[in-house]
Amino acid sequence: MLRLIGRRLLLMIPTLILVSILVFALAEVLPGDVGRSILGPYATQEQVEILNKELGADKPLYERYVSWAVGFVTGDWGVSPLLNIPVRPTVMKALGNSLLLAGFALVIIVPVSIVLGVFAGLRKDSFLDRGITVSSLSMTVIPEFVSGVILLYIFAVWLKWLPVTAIPPDGSPFVDRFYYLILPAIPLMFLELGYIARMARVGTVQVLAMPYIRTAVLKGLPRHRVVFGHVLRNAMVPTVTVIGSQVGWLIGGLVVIETLFVYPGIGKVMVDAAQTHDVVMLEASVLVVAVIYMVANLIADIVVALLNPRIRMGG
Amino acid sequence: MEMRPADLREPDSDLVAQQADTAADRQAMVAQADSASMLEQQRQRRYLAKALLRSPTFMTGLLIVLFWIFMAVFSTFITQSPFDVDAAVSLQAPSATHWFGTDDLGRDVLARTMAGARTVLIIAPLATFLALLWGGIIGLVSGFYRGMTDEIIMRLVDVLLALPVIITSILILSLLGKSLAIVIIVIGALFTPVVSRTIRAAVIGEREREYVMAARLRGERSAFVMAREILPNITQPIIVEGTIRLGYAVFTAATLSFLGFGLVPPSPDWGLTIATERIFLQIAPWTVLFPAAALATLVVGVNLITDGLSRVFSK
Repeated sequence: MLRLIGRRLLLMIPTLILVSILVFALAEVLPGDVGRSILGPYATQEQVEILNKELGADKPLYERYVSWAVGFVTGDWGVSPLLNIPVRPTVMKALGNSLLLAGFALVIIVPVSIVLGVFAGLRKDSFLDRGITVSSLSMTVIPEFVSGVILLYIFAVWLKWLPVTAIPPDGSPFVDRFYYLILPAIPLMFLELGYIARMARVGTVQVLAMPYIRTAVLKGLPRHRVVFGHVLRNAMVPTVTVIGSQVGWLIGGLVVIETLFVYPGIGKVMVDAAQTHDVVMLEASVLVVAVIYMVANLIADIVVALLNPRIRMGG
Repeated sequence: MEMRPADLREPDSDLVAQQADTAADRQAMVAQADSASMLEQQRQRRYLAKALLRSPTFMTGLLIVLFWIFMAVFSTFITQSPFDVDAAVSLQAPSATHWFGTDDLGRDVLARTMAGARTVLIIAPLATFLALLWGGIIGLVSGFYRGMTDEIIMRLVDVLLALPVIITSILILSLLGKSLAIVIIVIGALFTPVVSRTIRAAVIGEREREYVMAARLRGERSAFVMAREILPNITQPIIVEGTIRLGYAVFTAATLSFLGFGLVPPSPDWGLTIATERIFLQIAPWTVLFPAAALATLVVGVNLITDGLSRVFSK
């Protein structure tokens, strides 16, 4: 097991280096003149050159990459030339906000989709099954900003049950944040709902076909004991597996939902930086997301390995 | 039976005739087999078409998508102009003159919602086509040759998949600028790795079959074997993959234009409209809800087609 984790961590390093080169190349090479792309077309050539010197953009490319990469690893992420604020605290604060939102979304995703999936599986091919399957899949394929905006209208504008904003006013207790996060978390839940519910359903259907379920039923075990004792536990395995494979979608969803709800998370920081050509901020936020994405995938693989003895032994 | 002619120098006329007969026989047999297999193919195709026509899932999806294609092409002849600005009637609720109301610039929301299908229906199919083309070539080559070529290509694909699609496209689009062509190419390129994996898997399943072996023993060139022998036999997984990617392409194109990386105003594109009009959600929800509902129906329609196709194919 430890060897598996170690190998995966080692494998992450070359991928991360390649991603950082990709990010750096895209951010620094494509626009040509970094200073020009920051200052815009109306700045004088002189101003552009001064900024380039300040940013070190007049140095050769590989030197710039190395100093940038070393700076990133040692925690010196630079200063945003556009907002004139240090990048690391900004990105880290935004990351904290995003993790809160994503964590909250995951906490509601798992029980809701498993309950729906198991229900559908227990009544396989019934009207309920079809209904759950079709509606949860539709929720998943509809873009999150579409479901987000419709939910915003229904629950915040029309029924007025939930706030329109995603952040409570200053000075409210921390618990209030979750109340404000309900509305942004639901579209994120929808994104995953279809897949996870489907896996839970398949898991349930497979388990129900097993001989030991028939034994359990025939020996007179009450239905709820069968469901909770046998079905639920076995339906969990494929479900956990698929959650891990959906991390990329969750991150993409965060970017969109944070933009829609004007929530100060890392996705919003990234989109804003991309819109305003804030190269320093863009590089840092993308690289942070890349690291998180890889770590999340690794954790998912480890959990799958823990659940599946065959993989665990083979690793 | 003795087949050898009595005189070795003089070919036995009987035998010559017999050989000619068998050759003709063989040719006739081959032709018969060919026409039989063609009939068989035709029969299968007709069977598939019938099964699709009878599938309510597929037909519902097809009707929805056809409706939007029709609207994308002809809506300007039916509705009012999607671009006519009239400050006197801005943000009016739905009425007899403006069925879906008007937006902040007094433009007819019905006209804009119908014309909004256009951009998505240009971007998504073209991006899917590019992804199928590139992914098809990469998948065929790496699945056919295996070994080193396969290994190198698949590792490169892994790196491309190291970041969530939305993040990479934001990164690229913020630096390459906003244009329809760039959006199409970026989505196509980012979908290529996934497509190439699917096609590679299909090719690996086919390459050990007898007909591939026969073609190779005939001395056909690899390119011929790939294009004329294997490709026609993996059309079903390619079609299914194509419709799956089409759904994701609609999703991604809409998301990118919502985030402000695809199109610019005054385009009636749904994602863009939702992004620009969402500040009016509280006072004029119709400006946002109609495009949102339109986008939702199109995405669900495409996915119903996918679902119907893969169900019929997997039977």
